[in-house]
Parts: sequence; C-alpha cells; structure tokens
Amino acid sequence: MSVRLFLQVASVEMRKRMSYRVDFWINAFVGFAAELCIAWFLWQALYAESGKDVIGGYVFDEMLVYYVFVIIFARLVRGAEFEAHVSQDIYEGGLNRYLVFPASYFGMKYAQHVGGLVPTFVQTALFLGAWLVFTGGAGGEAITLTTVLMAAASLVLANLLYYAMSFPLHAVAFWADNVWSLLITLRFASNLLGGRMFPLVLFPVALRTANEWLPFRALFGLPAEALLGRVGFEAWLQGMAIGIVWLGVLSLIGRAVWRRGNLQYSGIGI
Amino acid sequence: MAKIGLATHGLARENPRFPGQAMIRVRNLSKSYTVHKKAPGLWGSIRSLVARQKVVKHAVRGVDLDVGEGEILGLVGPNGAGKTTLVKMLAGIIHPSGGEAQVLGHTPWERNNEFRRQIALIMGQKAQLWWDLPAADGFLLLKEIYRIPDDRYAANLAYLAEVLDVEQHLNVQVRRLSLGERMKMELIAALLHEPRVVFLDEPTIGLDLTAQRAIRDFLLAYREEHRPAMILTSHYMEDIQRLCKRIVIIDDGRFLYDGPLDQVAQAYAGQKVITVHLRRGDGSPPPAEALAAFGDVLTAGEDEVQLCVPRERVAEASAYLLAELPVADLSIDEEDIGTIIERIFRERRVEGA
Repeated sequence: MSVRLFLQVASVEMRKRMSYRVDFWINAFVGFAAELCIAWFLWQALYAESGKDVIGGYVFDEMLVYYVFVIIFARLVRGAEFEAHVSQDIYEGGLNRYLVFPASYFGMKYAQHVGGLVPTFVQTALFLGAWLVFTGGAGGEAITLTTVLMAAASLVLANLLYYAMSFPLHAVAFWADNVWSLLITLRFASNLLGGRMFPLVLFPVALRTANEWLPFRALFGLPAEALLGRVGFEAWLQGMAIGIVWLGVLSLIGRAVWRRGNLQYSGIGI
Repeated sequence: MAKIGLATHGLARENPRFPGQAMIRVRNLSKSYTVHKKAPGLWGSIRSLVARQKVVKHAVRGVDLDVGEGEILGLVGPNGAGKTTLVKMLAGIIHPSGGEAQVLGHTPWERNNEFRRQIALIMGQKAQLWWDLPAADGFLLLKEIYRIPDDRYAANLAYLAEVLDVEQHLNVQVRRLSLGERMKMELIAALLHEPRVVFLDEPTIGLDLTAQRAIRDFLLAYREEHRPAMILTSHYMEDIQRLCKRIVIIDDGRFLYDGPLDQVAQAYAGQKVITVHLRRGDGSPPPAEALAAFGDVLTAGEDEVQLCVPRERVAEASAYLLAELPVADLSIDEEDIGTIIERIFRERRVEGA
C-alpha cells in the first residue's frame, strides 16, 4: 500500500469524523472530564481512608496526573470506535467492497484508524490545555523532553499493538458473526493489565512480574510511566522489546486467522 | 410442453462470437455453505445455545460458463438461485467449494491486484461509496486506490458525470442523494478505472422508470465504447431484454439454459399466445370452460380474449375462436420472455414438490 493512498484514506476518515460536530465536542470535554472526576473522587477517598500520603510511590497529585495521561493515551491507542469496524465489515458484508479494491484491507483499515485519531489529537490538546490552566501542571514536574520522546515512541508501538491484538478477535466474526463479547473482554483485560484502571505498581509483585512479559503493559502503563519519568531507560527498552515481539506474534496470528476466516466468508449483505 | 430440466445447448461451450477469447471462463464451479437452523420461539433459542442444527446449502452446483469481450450476459433466476453467489466468486469475494474460474487469466479468489485493477462490482442493494462524504471525495480516494493517472481520471470523471447527468451533485454528501442519483454515482465509482470486466448485481433495483432507462442506456453506450465483459443479474426482465443478447437461467444452483435470449422461447415455450379483439355489441364471449379446453385463459372479457395454448393446438384454437366469436382482429405471438421464465421456475417448483 502506497504512502499516498495511506494518507488519502486517513484524510477521508479524519474528515468523516470531524463532520460530526456535536459528537466531537461532547467527546472532547464530557468524556475526559467524567473519567477524571471519577478518578479524583475515588483516589481522594482512598488516600483519606488509608491515612497515607503516598500510595505505590504516587502522591495524590501524581496519581491524578497518571490518570490524565492514561485517559489520553487510551484514546490515542484505541482510536475512536475502531473496535466496531472490522467485525462489522465481516458481519454486514461491508468487507466485499474492500476485497474488490486493489489495496490491502489491513492497510486501509489501519489508515482509517490513524485518520480517526486526528480528532482525538485535537481533543487531547484541548484537554491538556484545560488541565494546565486548572492545575498549573502540578504532579507533572518529572516530564522532560527525553520522557516525552520515550512516551511518543511507546505510543506508536502501543497503537500498533492494540490494532494487532484486536484484529484476530474481529476476524473471529468469520465464524461467530458477533464478537462484541470478545472485544469487551479485550477492553477489560487491557484496562486492568495495561495500567488503565490503576498504576501497575499496585499489583502484587508476582502478578506484576508476570504481567511484564505480557503485551498489555506496553499499551498504557509503559507510555505513562515513561512520560512521568517512573521507568529507567533500560527498563523502558526492555518493555518496548517485549511489546515488539508481541506485535510480531500477534500479527502472525492475525494473518493466519484472517486467511482461514476468508475461506468461510460468505459475503452476506450483497 | 417443453421438459424443464438441464438444457444441453449452450452449456459448457466456447463463446461462438469470441472463440478462444473468453474473458470469463468457468468450469465445474460450485459453492456450498453451512447454515445454522434455529427452531422458532423461546425454547428454540435456548436449545440453540447448546446445539444448533447445521444444514449444507448448495448455492452453485458445478456450472460452466464463458463470457467474451463486449458481451453482456444476463443471469436470471429466482431469489436464492445462486446468481449472487456466482458473481461473488467471480469477483473474488468468496472462495468456491470446487471447480475453476479464470477472469482475465486470473483466479479471482487469489485476489491479486493486477486482477482487481481490471474488474468492477456494482451492487444495487449495497452502497460502495462513502456515505458521509461527497461523491467527489470518494472518487478521489478511488483514484488513489486504482492508481488512475490525473489526466485519465479527470477525463473519465467528466465524461461519466456528463453522460449520467450528475455533474451538479458531485459535491453533495452521498447520503443526501436520491436513490437514482446515488446509483449513478455508484456506476461512476465502478467505472472510473475503465474495468475490462464488470459485474452488475441488480443495478436498477428500486429505481423509478426514468432512472432505470437512463442506466440501461448508459450501460449500452459504455459497452459500445469500452467493450468490457459484463455479467448482469436482475429481477427486472426489462433490464435483461434491453441489455442482454445472451442469458443464463439459473435455479437451485444449476444452469437450466445458456444461450441467446431470443431462443429461450424456442427452447422452452411450448406455447403461444393468441389474442383476439372482439367487435363491440356482438354478444358475450363463450364461457371460460370452453376456452380453457385449449390452454390457459389469460383474459376473457367482452372486448378481448387471450389464450396461452400449446403450439400444436394453435391452429385448432384459432379456428375455434374465429368460428365462435365476433373477431375483429386476431394475433398469434410468442410467450413473453418473462412469462416463460416465470413458468419455468413455477413448473420446477411443482416438480420438486
């Protein structure tokens, strides 16, 4: 797939997403604000109840900053509603149109995914701006240019990794028609084991060690820890390497499931 | 009455108009699906959670076909006959269960880009264009997908938009277009890259008569200019009669007839239609029972009587009508092609039952 086509597909998707103004603005503020409010109330209660100033190495402000960034990163990694696309294409027969095009379906879908991220970037900038205005950036003092670059690299990997994780599950739609429950399971597992629900440092040591070898940490925990200077360069590199290996493995699995599923495809919907 | 069964003539043959030049070549192609059945009601739903009944459906059963350059082949059959499944296999969307197919020398379901750059699939019941974007944006995307050079793209778009009379709608969101306008945009989208093989699945479905006519005229003009091989499925006999010189009649996954459209009547019409116009005020027509002795009574009014009778009884029936009725005018015609095809399917259903 050419870079030109990739950019064109991404651009079309971006324009499509931006055309829904109400949805854009609700997503920009309400979604972010609601999640942050929940985190604020929950952790305030936990700090007050435990009588501690530091939990898992985080003071309250740092904990909030962690949430600010995992909320943002989750959006940048997952994109907007990508989960619905591939399995719906299979279920409703929308895949037919792509199979006739002389272009890679994987490539076109990923380009759509990336294009769908552009509004999320804009929303993120607005949200970060609001956070800086209200808090003055309290809790984010450890952020430097180096940690920003490390987080950015992590996010690129995390984006590809989530795509590679969800693709085989979507492809199960060739057999099961409806894979919503699988996608919800992935969402829950990635939230829990990826550090989206709370910092991974709060897990028991054994579970945390095991989780370091799974692909989930690279999704949200590693980028957030990298940005906030909570992971050393070597440990970060190791986390990235594990993520890259998983990316390779999941891509192979996705390809195999896709090929097998294609033999089952009946193109219903025409 | 012609025996309804597998017609031998025209089947599995080279296209005589284009010997050795078939752009679409199909041999013994078949496709079977496994479908799940669920008993109705709550208990059926609960049972299906544990065990489902599997049923194998044979959608296409070992068919052979050749379509040459510039030919529009009409694929005619009732719902579920296997038309769309065949088209989907030839467009490379689904894999067959057996047999072979070559489209422009490529195996369709291998989906190599060289093959996909040369075909188009138009589905009347399914939008191909991007719903939320103006058609012009969708066309630009297709330009990149098919790598159409700038000058060719501009010329083709201008030509297609002018011929289909949609220039003023190019910048309107597709979802805001009327059904007819949308279908015209779909045609443009499918033909921008000048495909050499075009699959048209119900291209006029749901359209008003004017739009149907416009699309038929356009397809004929396009065929003349570009000479693609086309396969057309449609439930509108008007589409078939206007566009196709050759048809394949398919039912239950098998070809019943493959040959010239104008010879379907000879192959299957054991009957002719006798129409008599009666002089007004010259008495009432004979009772329908007397007419029914010759064949099917299509009309038995005071002004007109129409009978569908076996060929061998045409003379006898005509003589009777001329003798017994105040005939002002009498004509004997072949059965309408649509009626013949309907009858073929009806009789097959009766035989099957």
